[in-house]
Amino acid sequence: MNRRDFFKFVGLGGAVVGIGSLLPSQSVAGRRGGLKYEVKPGELDEYYGFWSGGHSGEVRVLGIPSMRCLKRIPVFNMDVATGWGITNESKKLLRGKYVGDTHHVHGSYKDGTYDGKYLFVNDKANNRVARIRLDYMETDAIVDIPNCQGVHGLFPQRYPKTEWVVVNGEFQVPVPNDPRKPPSKYYGVHTIIDAERMEIVCQIILEENLDLAATDYQGKYSMANSYNPEQGVTISEMLAWDQDYLIIFNWEKVREALRRGAYTVVNGVKVIDGTRKTGYPGLVLRIPVPKNPHGVNVTPDGRYAISSGKVDPTCTVVDLELVDKAFEGKIKPEDCIVAQPYVGLGPLHTTFDGRGNAYTSCFIDSTVVKWNIEKAIESPRRSKDAIVDIIDIHYQIGHIMASMAETKEADGKWLVALNKVSKDRFLNVGPLKVENDQLIDISGRKMKLVKDEPAWLEPHDCIIVRRDIVEKVVKHRHDMFEHPLAVTKSEIIRKGRHVIVKMTANAPVYGLTEIRVKKGDKVTFIVTNNDEIQDLTHGFCISNYNINFVVAPFQTKSVTFIADKPGVFWIYCTNFCHALHLEMRSRFIVEA
Amino acid sequence: MPRPLPHLFFLFLLLFIFNAFSKSPWKFFEHRYRYKLSDVIDADRFVKKERYWEAYKNGKLVGYVLISKDWTPNLVGYSGKHMETLIGIDTEGNITGVKLIYHSEPIVLIGLSERQYHEFLKQYKGKSIKGELRVGREISMDVITGATVTAVVQNSIIVNSARMLAEALGILKVRKVSRRRIKKTYERIPWEELLKIGAVKRVRITGKDLGLKTDEVYLDLYFAVIDPPSVGRNLLKDRVYEFAMGKKANFVLLIFSTEGKVSFKGKGFARGGIFDGFNIEQGGVTHIFRETDYRIITEKDLKVKDLPSFKEGGLFFVNSEFIDPTREFLLNLIVPFRVDGEKKVRNFSVPYRIPGRFLE
Repeated sequence: MNRRDFFKFVGLGGAVVGIGSLLPSQSVAGRRGGLKYEVKPGELDEYYGFWSGGHSGEVRVLGIPSMRCLKRIPVFNMDVATGWGITNESKKLLRGKYVGDTHHVHGSYKDGTYDGKYLFVNDKANNRVARIRLDYMETDAIVDIPNCQGVHGLFPQRYPKTEWVVVNGEFQVPVPNDPRKPPSKYYGVHTIIDAERMEIVCQIILEENLDLAATDYQGKYSMANSYNPEQGVTISEMLAWDQDYLIIFNWEKVREALRRGAYTVVNGVKVIDGTRKTGYPGLVLRIPVPKNPHGVNVTPDGRYAISSGKVDPTCTVVDLELVDKAFEGKIKPEDCIVAQPYVGLGPLHTTFDGRGNAYTSCFIDSTVVKWNIEKAIESPRRSKDAIVDIIDIHYQIGHIMASMAETKEADGKWLVALNKVSKDRFLNVGPLKVENDQLIDISGRKMKLVKDEPAWLEPHDCIIVRRDIVEKVVKHRHDMFEHPLAVTKSEIIRKGRHVIVKMTANAPVYGLTEIRVKKGDKVTFIVTNNDEIQDLTHGFCISNYNINFVVAPFQTKSVTFIADKPGVFWIYCTNFCHALHLEMRSRFIVEA
Repeated sequence: MPRPLPHLFFLFLLLFIFNAFSKSPWKFFEHRYRYKLSDVIDADRFVKKERYWEAYKNGKLVGYVLISKDWTPNLVGYSGKHMETLIGIDTEGNITGVKLIYHSEPIVLIGLSERQYHEFLKQYKGKSIKGELRVGREISMDVITGATVTAVVQNSIIVNSARMLAEALGILKVRKVSRRRIKKTYERIPWEELLKIGAVKRVRITGKDLGLKTDEVYLDLYFAVIDPPSVGRNLLKDRVYEFAMGKKANFVLLIFSTEGKVSFKGKGFARGGIFDGFNIEQGGVTHIFRETDYRIITEKDLKVKDLPSFKEGGLFFVNSEFIDPTREFLLNLIVPFRVDGEKKVRNFSVPYRIPGRFLE
């Protein structure tokens, strides 16, 4: 039968949903809350949650609302369970660096909502950006960010689709990194990355450090908050000024500068000057905001950017429709500010329900504050009039994220508070404790705390993505021949002192029962899982050789090492695969 | 009877290049048996044809012999490999004998012996392929309970291969009806109405149906072909329905159960990727589902509101050319149960077709 006719029908339905979510209230208005948060055995979650893993260097996949951790994706770290950092494929991406600090994980977009294709995540420690492909939920590219330190805020282009990803450098450094330069010659760097090629398009340098990042919904701007335009190198110096900046980058001018060759090449990257006095005209807009701001988030309707105060109890609401005028010099940068509501002590990040409300995390108060954006615009600056509801969290909230809130399809169902300390919320596990991610039902007027979930070091941020978006792309098995070395027939190839062992893994046997090499030989094992059965993963461990990895159905991985220890070494399957899993073994014999 | 000359009547498959296997790590799992064509039919002369042999006795055509892998190579067991079977039928379509000639099923792992397997195959002799031949009904699984996946696949191999040959030879008449088109229009139809018109079929199996003394519910199951929008869109939430229709398939079957001791999905798919608890059948050809044809359905995916409970469900994507949902087909349910601790199974067949009002 012809399915196209259905698609027409479907397309129409989708459009209606999209428009509906942009309007305030609608069918959800007046709902009293009380969503079901229990996910019974056999039932599946409604949302995928993608969590950064902080200095664990990984990304985690959770189910929402159950908060069950479904997967840990190794990214910048070494993971001995999957073999990330051990296999040749992962080493090629990691290039010897195993310390990572992931803060912000965001999905690729098409037309203002997730397309389910990729995740992007920063590494603040070794200044990298990684891409995870969502069909396999595995890291597939890592790019180094030169000229920049403290690679922190990250955000993909939202419209018309993700061609660029921006990352901010939180620590100012000399560009190029010359140790003789004084702090006045240290710069913050805004880096633009080509999302498909995972190469750097260009960098913009400026005096300010750049903290969190955001993009608009029209493909015109990227944004950053700066808490250290002072170019201070001590905490006192960084806190010197009473006003810092929300910085907006004009992409039209970025393209223009690139076209005109208005850049210098530093360490192979095109660097555009964005400094106050000599910067490229019309490229950077500095909107003054209260002292030491942190997060910047854009409302799902694309209208406002909201910057949080951190050491000021307010949020600053910037009308993005006025930004063009400010760039043209028709109005002053501060005239783009349309509201500055009081929210509480230590406001950090803001998220949205798609019904016109904002939810701001207040670190010092340990609260989530729900406030109405239109009400805030109508109210006097620094007034509390816009506050709708306040809920205590436990304790010391950092990031905050509602379901689909970073898309035009924000649906106002669930909100997660990522709390930095758990204190007394769980059994005592010694001085080093877990963190506490709390799930809050935001479907009603009043917020309702429904769940505590321990989190190991240290998620910073997350996104909550509707299940159907991911389910359209995620697979059960690899495309076997995507790996150029996929093995379907086991064999041993000797090239001088290099022994290449091509081996299949089919439950419950490896394709070779015995592999003989000479001490000192360089050995490459290429292992392909030839089992098609869903979830039938094999392990590959060589005893006493410090090697282990797993291969998922139809996946190929390889490892190269020197056979420096003579003897008989059992290779065995580490990942349960079959009733005869324990018998799935081969001998690796190294002749003296 | 004169002793037939080997080069005319015999086809020996050697115990396949023994040396090659002795080093293979698979040796333990490979089972290849010596056979001759006369093992499955009483005949003294065989004439090779394309994909089968004619069998003669005293100069008279008495039947045919085939090797299953020439007909149904895609039917594979746990091992992912076909169970090669030698099958004889007479000129009337009665099975004269069945012999397994190669398999790599890990049956020893599930507590069976080779002898039990051969016992199982003996019961096919004398059965007509014109009638129904279903595991748990005409074909008893008593000797090999536990090996449901293997038995179900083996049964399909025998029945489908023999029927294909019989059809090719004209022994079996299969009505060739061109498939009707499914209407693409949508009308809102309530759940009760969908049940009433047979767009959704319900199967409720209690202990009594299994010959037990208990009323306990073993299975309370609903199923439907969801391709007509008036069926699918009334059963499933739009996103799920659209997902289903976006997949490549001839048609899509929704099955879910609301209660019962038994899981219709079974657990076989967790090991071998094959659903051993149910299959569909039309014109005697059975279609077995694999996990690659499956997507889980949970209560939240359903639009139907007034179900008393929900247990489990799935969408099953049918790519077989042999099953036409606009004509009647059977859903065969292989229901396992225990009598005094002993495993038994029973087959229930439920007819289904897309109601005429949804067809052009």
